[in-house]
Amino acid sequence: MQISADYDRCEGHGLCAEQAPAIFELDDDAELVHHFEGTDIPPEQLAAARAAVTSCPVAALREVP
Amino acid sequence: MTPPGSIVITGESIAGITAARELRELGHAGPITLIGAEEHGAYARPPLSKAVLKDDRADSTLGYRLDGLDVDVVRSPAVAADVGRRVVATADGREIGYAALVVATGARARRIAAPGQRGETVLRTLDDARRLRTRLDAARSALVVGAGFLGLEVVSACVARGIPVTVVDVDPPLRRILGPFVSEAITARAGDHGVRVVVTPAPATLTGDPVGGVRLADGTVLTADVVVTCCGEVPNTDWLAGTGLAGPRGVTIDQACATAVPGVFAAGDVTCLHTGTRTPFWSTAVAQGKAAAASALDLAPAGPPRDDYFWTEILGLSLKVAGPLPPRGEPDLAEGSVPGGSALLTWLGGNGQRTVVAYGKRMPVPKLRALAGQAYARLRPT
Repeated sequence: MQISADYDRCEGHGLCAEQAPAIFELDDDAELVHHFEGTDIPPEQLAAARAAVTSCPVAALREVP
Repeated sequence: MTPPGSIVITGESIAGITAARELRELGHAGPITLIGAEEHGAYARPPLSKAVLKDDRADSTLGYRLDGLDVDVVRSPAVAADVGRRVVATADGREIGYAALVVATGARARRIAAPGQRGETVLRTLDDARRLRTRLDAARSALVVGAGFLGLEVVSACVARGIPVTVVDVDPPLRRILGPFVSEAITARAGDHGVRVVVTPAPATLTGDPVGGVRLADGTVLTADVVVTCCGEVPNTDWLAGTGLAGPRGVTIDQACATAVPGVFAAGDVTCLHTGTRTPFWSTAVAQGKAAAASALDLAPAGPPRDDYFWTEILGLSLKVAGPLPPRGEPDLAEGSVPGGSALLTWLGGNGQRTVVAYGKRMPVPKLRALAGQAYARLRPT
């Protein structure tokens, strides 16, 4: 499973980084850094990754099967 | 016969979905039943007043997926609960037993129309947002009753679409929540965008049948093609009649999201804290969904049942807020420029807590929380 991020929609809330800090980070300008862009999420991170998708208040993250 | 360890969640809200996810994360292997009333299934609501009113491409991007959670979804609303027998009844006639129940039925829009008065427009669901968007397509004028977050987001959508708009409230815009300083800045911004702000000493009433305007306290009647009521929300507790769970402000919860009834927990907009405070915000619903899940499994929640972070987008400006509300008076620290649309505002509280507002300034929530002196309680070691 991969996660895609819609950077135009992202508002830099950073709730995803709180749910899944190994996958998402925000830089000092609140720009999203996605550590697994275009690659599969490791199995031990799946639950955190899905929680991050759900927590996004602007629905900018999507699961890609 | 209820299988051992069965957990029922009523409501496909962010609180309900978060609770389901957290139950699995905490190792619950028993059945989870999610009872939802939404025909479209679970979806994110914050974009309804922000993206959906302006762009129909947003509609299909809001849904939540429950992949991998092994949740049994019942798409028929809960209509009654018997907390003695521990069963929930649904509109389609089912009775679903539980060992633990998480109440997450959310809230609905508060309506102000007179009994029998037709055509009141509110905004709470995806269908509401679609209907309002369609009506705005043909509107030459709009009136918004309520100058809180939702009301001002609707105002912003009207401005973005070039529709002349008036907003009516008993208080100046956002004053109840964000205090006088931010209220004045937003009021000035509204004026710059041609928004008419009307403050009336007593609540306005809707006129016309169907609704086509409002009557102010002094008897003045204003009319518009579209009139939208944005006057807060009412917790969805009707189905809990007779259980002792619900009061007028919602289902009262303690620090662990437990209710007064054994085996029943609650999360999200349906709740009020034991202090009587309602905090119907997204981040609080996430925090409570997690806490309620832990408590339903008889584990200690890792975090408190509230999270004082929220945001809004008004007239092209994002506001992100952390800390106690409302902040009083002028900010103690201000960097940047409020008229320029990018500032960081800080109010120092008496007890070491701060209220921090990122006004048109991009700032990630961990940084905002750190400035406000909040610690985010992470539920899992990472």
